[in-house]
Amino acid sequence: MIGSKQYYFNLFQVDQPLLDALIEEGLRSGGSYCDLYFENTTYGSLLLRDGAVTSGGCHQDFGVGVRVLAGEKTGYAYSESTAPQHMKACARAAAQIADKPVEVNPFGTVAPRRGEPNPAADRYPMLQPWREQSLQAFLPFLQKLEAQVRSRDTRIVKLIANLAFQVSDILMYNAYRELKWDTRPMGSLSVSAVFQQNGATENKSASRSFRCGAEMLTDSLIREIADEVVKGIDERFAARRPKGGQMSVVMGAGASGILLHEAMGHAFEADFNRKGTSIFADKMGTRICPEGIQIIDDGTLAGNRGALNFDDEGVAAQKTYMVEDGILTSYLHDRISAAHYGVRPTGNGRRESFRYAPIPRMRATYMESGNAKAEDLVASVKEGIFVDEFSNGQVQIGEGDFTFFVKSGFLIENGKLGMPVKDINIIGNGPAALADIRGVADDLLIDPGAWTCGKEQSVPVSCGIPTVLIGSLTVGGGF
Amino acid sequence: MSTNNLEATLQESEIALARHCMDFALHHGAQRLRITLTKSLMNLTGLLNGEVDKVALALDRSLQIQLFADGRFGSFSSNQLEKEGLERFILEAISTVRMLEPDPDRDLPAAERLVKNAVTGKELALYDPACETLTDQRRREISLSSMLWPRKAALEKGWTLISEEGEYSDSVFDSLTLDSQGLEARHTETSFEIGYESTVEDPEGNHFSSYWWDASPTLAQLRWQDCAEKACLRAAAQIGPKGIESGKYTLIVDSECASKLLSPLLNALSGSSLQQKNSFLMDSLGKKLFPESLTLWDRPLAPGQTGSRLFDSEGVATREMPVIEKGVVKSYFLNTCMARKMQMAPTIEDCSRAVLSPVGGIKTREELLAKVRDGILVTEFNGGNSNSATGNFSYGVEGFLVRDGKIAHPVREILITGNFLSLWGNLVATADDARPCMSRLIPSLAFKDVDVSA
Repeated sequence: MIGSKQYYFNLFQVDQPLLDALIEEGLRSGGSYCDLYFENTTYGSLLLRDGAVTSGGCHQDFGVGVRVLAGEKTGYAYSESTAPQHMKACARAAAQIADKPVEVNPFGTVAPRRGEPNPAADRYPMLQPWREQSLQAFLPFLQKLEAQVRSRDTRIVKLIANLAFQVSDILMYNAYRELKWDTRPMGSLSVSAVFQQNGATENKSASRSFRCGAEMLTDSLIREIADEVVKGIDERFAARRPKGGQMSVVMGAGASGILLHEAMGHAFEADFNRKGTSIFADKMGTRICPEGIQIIDDGTLAGNRGALNFDDEGVAAQKTYMVEDGILTSYLHDRISAAHYGVRPTGNGRRESFRYAPIPRMRATYMESGNAKAEDLVASVKEGIFVDEFSNGQVQIGEGDFTFFVKSGFLIENGKLGMPVKDINIIGNGPAALADIRGVADDLLIDPGAWTCGKEQSVPVSCGIPTVLIGSLTVGGGF
Repeated sequence: MSTNNLEATLQESEIALARHCMDFALHHGAQRLRITLTKSLMNLTGLLNGEVDKVALALDRSLQIQLFADGRFGSFSSNQLEKEGLERFILEAISTVRMLEPDPDRDLPAAERLVKNAVTGKELALYDPACETLTDQRRREISLSSMLWPRKAALEKGWTLISEEGEYSDSVFDSLTLDSQGLEARHTETSFEIGYESTVEDPEGNHFSSYWWDASPTLAQLRWQDCAEKACLRAAAQIGPKGIESGKYTLIVDSECASKLLSPLLNALSGSSLQQKNSFLMDSLGKKLFPESLTLWDRPLAPGQTGSRLFDSEGVATREMPVIEKGVVKSYFLNTCMARKMQMAPTIEDCSRAVLSPVGGIKTREELLAKVRDGILVTEFNGGNSNSATGNFSYGVEGFLVRDGKIAHPVREILITGNFLSLWGNLVATADDARPCMSRLIPSLAFKDVDVSA
């Protein structure tokens, strides 16, 4: 819910002349660019454990970050106070990245470039703003959620439900005289349950996370999460470790988008390419996967966990095609890498908070639907594995080796789903895996879970994919 | 960046504010509470391919309040340390806590368990006064001279160092923990860190990356001189990987990454996992679940050592204690709340400084390889996870095939899969090469019969 400019000016106790003076201070040592990032974030949480909501809290975080660029080099400092003297001290500290004091500050000659935020285009309006809600109002929701989950399976012996929200007021100003402001909500709900059966123990969890207000807390959300927590628990108890080795892998629609995030998304972040470390550093304009495949990083999906009105450099969020018809067409850029490559920023400059300088990061990363049917992809595999629930992934940028951890899946035997499997890691090489995509189904699904990317800083992201068949990956297992 | 004009440690005015918040909360409805005031100051220099690429200055303060009112509990924090604003924040916090459901197990620790000797914050010699006189010029000298890039040609042998990214930082961390029973406990420490990530290219254009790092509470003990070279040579050593057959191998895990295999054990022994029955070490106290050769202690009182501390976040005094002794589980990690819920005696909330006792008199990793003869040496993990309820795990690893006690060739894109109980049950030997820069002091370890998928 975007407020008026004056709301943000009052919140951070600044005015236009002060913002100008800070930019001028930042450029005093010869820096080529300076920006300011003000943030006021409220966090709230409630925890249900052992049948009662017995823990909760609230946290406040407030401050301003000052960044000065000297070419591609960065000076950064931040203050938890917006008193003018403290902010000017930060600007002076960040300015030290440059070492050629200028007599005539170039900032005075810069004309404004862009207009102001348009509240009508807000991608995450809050119908029920979190800050206006009493935490007490959420207790019945969590109690109802617990009752619904437990009613679905008597084997549940423990259950934890966590409701967390945050609302961030952001004000950005830079040496191009671009002034942007935004208010970003995020609501997240997660449930983790422990099941026992015949002396064996298993756990399952489910989460949902959206940029919206408390209106997300509906009965249908309760049903959705309750269904997901108990879904597949019989298979988890029955699951066995498969024999390990190389095999075909069918990635189920939705959360399998972690493949795109790890196998190629990070390698396409332009800072890794600018530094020459990415395995895709010299692949622009070349074919990296079969014809007909589109891979996108998108900040424009309304209410999505990765949605933005502006990135953390004040660049409008965009839908960026990284791969078009199998050809690598764009990296993901912040202002530094965009200048390096002589292209426009793609709105991927993101940061965890005012304590961090922005770097290229993903938003919602997904592959567009293809023409195949999911069941046909499974039927085409003589011996392989189908995977559809994940916990985490990782990538070695230089080599391109990526992994992701599979919470549950099934063996595929002669084109049919067979024995359930669980808790196995899968490893592959990014360029090889992309080139080895054998089929893409017509069932794109963006996963609604609470994904967080941890590249140097933590930022919320999401991922999605249609059902996809990859010719060969290495699957962990026994012998 | 200059920090001479910044106060890196807590000042009397800030401490007085924390005490005021304590009194204010107690006079406005809180029956008991704990306040933790923290402050940190960090200087960072980033390096990229022979040049300074980034400088950053970070000063943080935070006031955290754990509040008990009418049998209820809540946790709150703010970084806006202004008296009137904090008073409003505390009133709202008390109001919020009263909305929650009561929890009779939430309370402050018994007074006799609280730390008594954390008065100055510097009792454990974790504070290096060198931070007070460290100049920007000196930081720059350390950073620039730590780089390999300007002299890389002398090292390159058929391969090329194509990217070298490094970071030097020094920081001061200061905290004061107060509670309504009269606790006032201080912890002050400095940290000096260096880290490098290097990427090399072989003649065929293949890239190989690796890292190295060091850290110390004192500048004099920081090994910054050879960090970049180690990162580069670790990357170059991976050139020419060859495939191996899937099967059972003896696994030698380098001390740099061996703690990855210990952390799930410590998590499984924590109260939060045990109370939720989400632990593969349920009901393990007093049982011999591991081999005689496995002994693990929590040693938090070693002066000047990374990870040492006199008290945990509840203000409870730490002590040296066995966690696993000759294979027998000797202790859980139970804070006040979890101990009450489990109807057990509280211990400490988590492990401060885990020390795995070396066995067999083997000193170095090379000696360990010579003893094992054949297997796979793991030098880095690449993703993976474990199931906290069952102890099943699956990790991506990188490293080298070992033949006749010597490194034969690099291996990558391989996975290890198993269960932690059986893995640790197959611990056959250790070296004595734990890295002192870590709070988990785990030497290189050798496990037999590990499932490897390649």
